[in-house]
Amino acid sequence: MKLSITGFITGIVLIIVMLGLLRYRPWNHNGSVNIKDVVHDGPNNKAKRQLTVGYLPVTCHLTCPVTDFASKTTHANTNFNSQVFSDFPTVVSALQAKQIQATFMIVPLAMKLREQGVPVRICYLGHRDGSEIVVAKNGKVRSLRDLKGKKVAIPSPYSNQNFVMHKLMEDYGMKPDDITFVVLPPPDMPTSLASGAIDGYFVGEPFCAKAELDGIGRVLYYARDIWPNFISCALVVHEDLIRDNREVVEDLVRGIAQSGAWAETHRAEAARLAAPYYRQDQKVLDYVLLSDPRRVSYVQLTPTDEDLQQIQDMGIKMGLLTKHIPMRELIDRDFVPQTITPALIDAAKIPDPQAGKIH
Amino acid sequence: MGPETNKRQGMSMPAGPTAKPGKVRIRRFGLPVMVLLCVLLTWWLVSFFHLFPAYAMPSPGAVLNSFKEEISAGRLVNDIIASLWRVAIGFVVSACLGIPLGLWLGQHAAGRQAFVPMLNFFRFLSPLAWIPFAILWFHIGDKPAIFLIFMATFFPLVLATMSAVATIPKIYFRVARDYNYKGIELLTKVTFPAVLPQVITALRVSYGIAWVVIVAAEMVGCQDGLGYGIWEARNGLRLDSAVCYMITIGVLGMGIDRLLAQLTKLPDVRWGYER
Repeated sequence: MKLSITGFITGIVLIIVMLGLLRYRPWNHNGSVNIKDVVHDGPNNKAKRQLTVGYLPVTCHLTCPVTDFASKTTHANTNFNSQVFSDFPTVVSALQAKQIQATFMIVPLAMKLREQGVPVRICYLGHRDGSEIVVAKNGKVRSLRDLKGKKVAIPSPYSNQNFVMHKLMEDYGMKPDDITFVVLPPPDMPTSLASGAIDGYFVGEPFCAKAELDGIGRVLYYARDIWPNFISCALVVHEDLIRDNREVVEDLVRGIAQSGAWAETHRAEAARLAAPYYRQDQKVLDYVLLSDPRRVSYVQLTPTDEDLQQIQDMGIKMGLLTKHIPMRELIDRDFVPQTITPALIDAAKIPDPQAGKIH
Repeated sequence: MGPETNKRQGMSMPAGPTAKPGKVRIRRFGLPVMVLLCVLLTWWLVSFFHLFPAYAMPSPGAVLNSFKEEISAGRLVNDIIASLWRVAIGFVVSACLGIPLGLWLGQHAAGRQAFVPMLNFFRFLSPLAWIPFAILWFHIGDKPAIFLIFMATFFPLVLATMSAVATIPKIYFRVARDYNYKGIELLTKVTFPAVLPQVITALRVSYGIAWVVIVAAEMVGCQDGLGYGIWEARNGLRLDSAVCYMITIGVLGMGIDRLLAQLTKLPDVRWGYER
């Protein structure tokens, strides 16, 4: 095969131009960047304002995609685009770089950010409950004391799961080093439990349901049994957005409150709605939302001073948080609507994931 | 990769006149296909007899299904384009900057002494370590991923080009002096042709790094791409879909390496492999 240097360079240039065209599709006015964000094209293209909200594909953040869907299929003043992330450190960097100004996040991490001078506020909660301590299905562990000397996985040192676990150990009169804690990415927890690398884990759904469905694990404690009205994630908003664009934040908090009220009573539909956003097996989401109402709830989501003070106190006690931040600086309840009505989502508009129709 | 290339070129040559062409073809295509089939069969047997539970080892059927699903949703094609675009840009930028810098350093001893420790320092930093900075500096989307690919490939490429220049026999430069070659002329007529074979090998190696880094690079708040597909599959507890993306990454990486290997057939380069 004859090939000259000029021919080769021309080839490279041609390939790059072609890839660039395919990537950015200049003939398509929306641009490919937005296509992925807009999972559903709703009839409501009249909303003039837009906001991107970050979330992770966990059921604690379920109201985020529901709000996205609702803003595009019902009458709304702001279009919300939910942007999925795969881990919290990336969310933090994106928030610091102000690439996103509103996101769902584990509460102690938001406190840590505030402590480090990133001006964020907790405007609403993501859920109540929604986490479990899971142990091996056929193991002998019957209570926390049986975990003494064993290895338990948590999603992050700055997760409320870690804090609550320490509170429970205190209640049982155990010392902090009685249990070895390891930080693991939640998707790897069920398989680590199955292989015997860890003896238990405490994390948000659907990673507990997955272990139960696969026949690996069983629930030792529901979060609510240890810490009533357990919170792990909240809606965190950058102060710049609160200052510059109050209407958008108001729409956002109302949207999430209404989505929560809807999801609480339309659990099967919520699982069907979220599955394509999460790209998760609907079976797992169905199990989380439908098997036992104790698993997770999406009402009573106004953050109270007592709730968050309790978390902060525990964090300070553990040495993970260092500053006492006054609750009025941390929480902003101004946007919580007086009355919360369920979002007017038309169940018929939710695409059926089984049919593979996502766009 | 250099010795491997030599071996392959060398292997086909003695086989030419003695062995029958049909036999050569069987060996070149038949053997790899047989190995591939054996691997697939083992995979199928392992999942058929449930040597590993389904959650730890997705079955070939499940992977095939997720291929169908990803292709029919149009995601796979979109992800392939996104990843190819990021790797192509990151790689071309690092080649355009890295090769000239390597050539310059190779010819200037003082420059080498000044810069090599720093270059070596950066070479050992994993692209994962740059992730937080990539987001802070380049925000979210294509740019941080391209930056990470650049960071992973630039330094090895500079160092490889530099050491290639350093190994040019002195006699070449003596002859060049007789011809009164200087500056650009020296570079284009002597140095560059002399190092081209090694530079091409270095390009292939660093392209390999770029393609490996894509999974890490696309952790950075990307919304598409093959690496992102793996992260998302993991978060979605869908290992079958992760395997489907792994297969795509492997096959594409191999295919593009074959294309780059065509460079060794350039008339200006072939001498380097036929010594």
